[in-house]
Amino acid sequence: MSWQTFILHVFTYGILLYSLLLLICYILIGSFSISETRTYLNKNSFTDYRVLASSTEAPSISVLAPAYNEGATIIENVRSLLSLHYNNLEVIIINDGSKDDTLEKLINAYDLFKVDFFVNEQLPTKPVKGVYKSHNPVYRKLIVVDKENGGKADALNVGVNVAQNNYYVCIDVDCVLEQDALLKLAKPFLENTTQRVIAAGGVVRIANSCQIEGGRLVKVNLAKQFLPRVQTLEYIRAFLLSRMAWTRLNGLLLISGAFGAFDRDIVIKCGGYNPNTVGEDMELVVRMRRYMEERNEPYRVSFIPDPLCWTEAPSTFKILGRQRNRWTRGTIETLRIHKKMFFNPRYGLLGMLSYPYWLFFEFLAPIIEFVGTIGLIIYCLTGPVNWSLFMIMLGVLSIGILYSIFAIMMEVLTYNQYRNKKDILRLVLVAVLEPIVFHPFVVWSAIRGNIDLLRKRNSWGEMTRQGFVTEKKAQ
Amino acid sequence: MGTLFHFLPINLLAITAFLPNALIIKLHYQAIVILFIICLMIALLTYMLFYMYFKSKHEKKHVKWRIISDLLIRKAVFYDDDDEEAETLIPVTKRAEKLMRNKHFRALLTAEILSAKKNITGTSAENLIHLYQQLNLEKYALKNLKSRYWYIKAKAIQELTVMEMKEFQTLLYPFTNNHNELVRMEAQTAIVQFQGFEGLRFLDIIIYPISDWQQIKLLQQLSNVPPVYIDIDGWLKSANSSVVVFALKLARNYHRFELHDLILSCLDHPNPEVRLQAIHCLCEMYTDETSDQLISRFLKESFRHQLAMIKAMQNIGSEKDILFLLSLLDDDNHEMKLSAARALASIGKSGLTSLQDHVKSAGYPLNEILMQIKGELAA
Repeated sequence: MSWQTFILHVFTYGILLYSLLLLICYILIGSFSISETRTYLNKNSFTDYRVLASSTEAPSISVLAPAYNEGATIIENVRSLLSLHYNNLEVIIINDGSKDDTLEKLINAYDLFKVDFFVNEQLPTKPVKGVYKSHNPVYRKLIVVDKENGGKADALNVGVNVAQNNYYVCIDVDCVLEQDALLKLAKPFLENTTQRVIAAGGVVRIANSCQIEGGRLVKVNLAKQFLPRVQTLEYIRAFLLSRMAWTRLNGLLLISGAFGAFDRDIVIKCGGYNPNTVGEDMELVVRMRRYMEERNEPYRVSFIPDPLCWTEAPSTFKILGRQRNRWTRGTIETLRIHKKMFFNPRYGLLGMLSYPYWLFFEFLAPIIEFVGTIGLIIYCLTGPVNWSLFMIMLGVLSIGILYSIFAIMMEVLTYNQYRNKKDILRLVLVAVLEPIVFHPFVVWSAIRGNIDLLRKRNSWGEMTRQGFVTEKKAQ
Repeated sequence: MGTLFHFLPINLLAITAFLPNALIIKLHYQAIVILFIICLMIALLTYMLFYMYFKSKHEKKHVKWRIISDLLIRKAVFYDDDDEEAETLIPVTKRAEKLMRNKHFRALLTAEILSAKKNITGTSAENLIHLYQQLNLEKYALKNLKSRYWYIKAKAIQELTVMEMKEFQTLLYPFTNNHNELVRMEAQTAIVQFQGFEGLRFLDIIIYPISDWQQIKLLQQLSNVPPVYIDIDGWLKSANSSVVVFALKLARNYHRFELHDLILSCLDHPNPEVRLQAIHCLCEMYTDETSDQLISRFLKESFRHQLAMIKAMQNIGSEKDILFLLSLLDDDNHEMKLSAARALASIGKSGLTSLQDHVKSAGYPLNEILMQIKGELAA
């Protein structure tokens, strides 16, 4: 055997092994997700959350919502946050140096005045210009912090510094929360007696085409446009299958920045959000886990499958590309920062399973796929027509579609948000089209993320949203 | 950030270009594999559609059943039993009687009765209990108690609790120490529901911890019954730390001042959660010496506990503690400084004056802390 053949064999068998492992992972994710979801639903079927809503013993929670140029919708968004069902609550809006009239609108709408407030800089941040509270006792839960622009991570760190409570929930200010979202998210922190729950995440759902009135979700509709619709399927797959499965193993590495609850004490001890990464949400969870592992303290990262938070998904390829580019860079940065954990038995499941999974199947997958596709194109152009090759491609595509249909089935059997049969068939159609129309673009965006990182282009990328008001009018 | 969004092993495409011939299976086998996957897809889709179809069909049937249940419940709620001596029956239609043989209808009716019972009290609630018993629904709950599935068992206990089936409490009591968390939680709730404060006797025997969630539930339940004097000394000495924490909460909520010394002894408990709860408790039940006791243990404690002690001093501190609190203004941690300053201000004019006269009060961060505290006092 010549050395060229040997290298080719190592390469091909390597990729074969990789693909088989990935396939096994998907099968395991599916089965773990079923058992975790079933346990949760059984447990939840006789839980009365009203107990927590009215109890003075409920843990106090600070809601942190960074706002940047949100003038158009900020008043309604804050009203929605203030109406959440929870007793011991403070809502902290962090105006991250908005260039528009976000702060002025808040001051006028909520009768705010500047107070003397000592901001204990437990986490280093950009300077705070002022802290505002309301004259009106109805808005006593509201605190508005005005600060110099420093990005989302910096704004969240200010929020952590200002917060007075043991737990905080970070949310994107333009997300729509269910009224009982905090009650459900607070429960995991109270029910564990053997492990300290350091964070709890919630499902984020796509709100495009849904009916939103007064900052509340009135009616769930399947997105009308193709891009948000395909992201609906993606989110179902990611949240109902993957995150539930990783929760079962206590190996969850990511809690979405759009909606998650954290133990403030641990966050401060870990040094808060890292403003030097665009993946600050994942990086924080990994750092918190690492902190607990290094101290040998039993801990858990929980996840709630109930649809509690609704967000607007990008509806143009341009914005979607920016988002996926950023997600890729965030993943790579996080993996690079914590490379010490890679197959390091000291970090237990975190080092031996979660980290390697992310490295091989989240970071490397699009690269391998991209290289493979290029190789395939060259092969097809230069070689003879190969029916066997065509059949393998078809087989691979059908496995992907099968996995998506399984995710849709899980949705139907559990929360069944899209009750119309036509909507389910539309989702199935999306599952068929996704690998051809959508997935190549996602892979390309991930490749661009890799290139941007190599070129040290590290911008957040502006996320223009259409806003729910527009959607409502469109009804 | 999106993770786990790479949905399919499309990467397999890559291998097809390089796969050794030995690994490429024959064309007709490949076709069989693809056909099998497609069949699986069709099977899942068909199952989904059938599921949705039957669900919507059931929902339509449930609408009809709900009307029958509602009628039955309404009859029971407004049932006026003129003859107080004899036990009369709530009229049940023949159709409802016939439907009672259907387990799905029974489940729906039970759920409706339970839901109604949770929201009403008085004679109407008693009538609902009467209806529940008249229809022998407790028989099925008792059967479910023997189920091997924890959630069916727990649900059955909850059902018997809501329907106030006190006669089965001896049956439920052993479940208060069940290995399954949900089962024992429901059983504990049941016993407290039936016996009020007396029901807390399960605290003597439980070996499993009581979660914070369960403690909140129990305290909420107890707040609905008139307080009764119970002996909680034993629980404050329990080997189960969660029982001690719960007993401390009970002592605080029901102002059991006679337990002050026993609570003080909890400050030396090996479990940090017990010590923390004891500090919270002493914050509301204190004597002139309590602050001295806290100060004497201050240096031995972790930062979290120290902070809790200083926050407690905002309630229980007096002029004799001023010197100690002033010493904390030199602490490296700003949160500690802020809490000490708040405690000083809460002592009164002398505390505030000492704070203002402190040598560092004009510099950062004390100047800002002082401004905030003055603002808080003025508000």
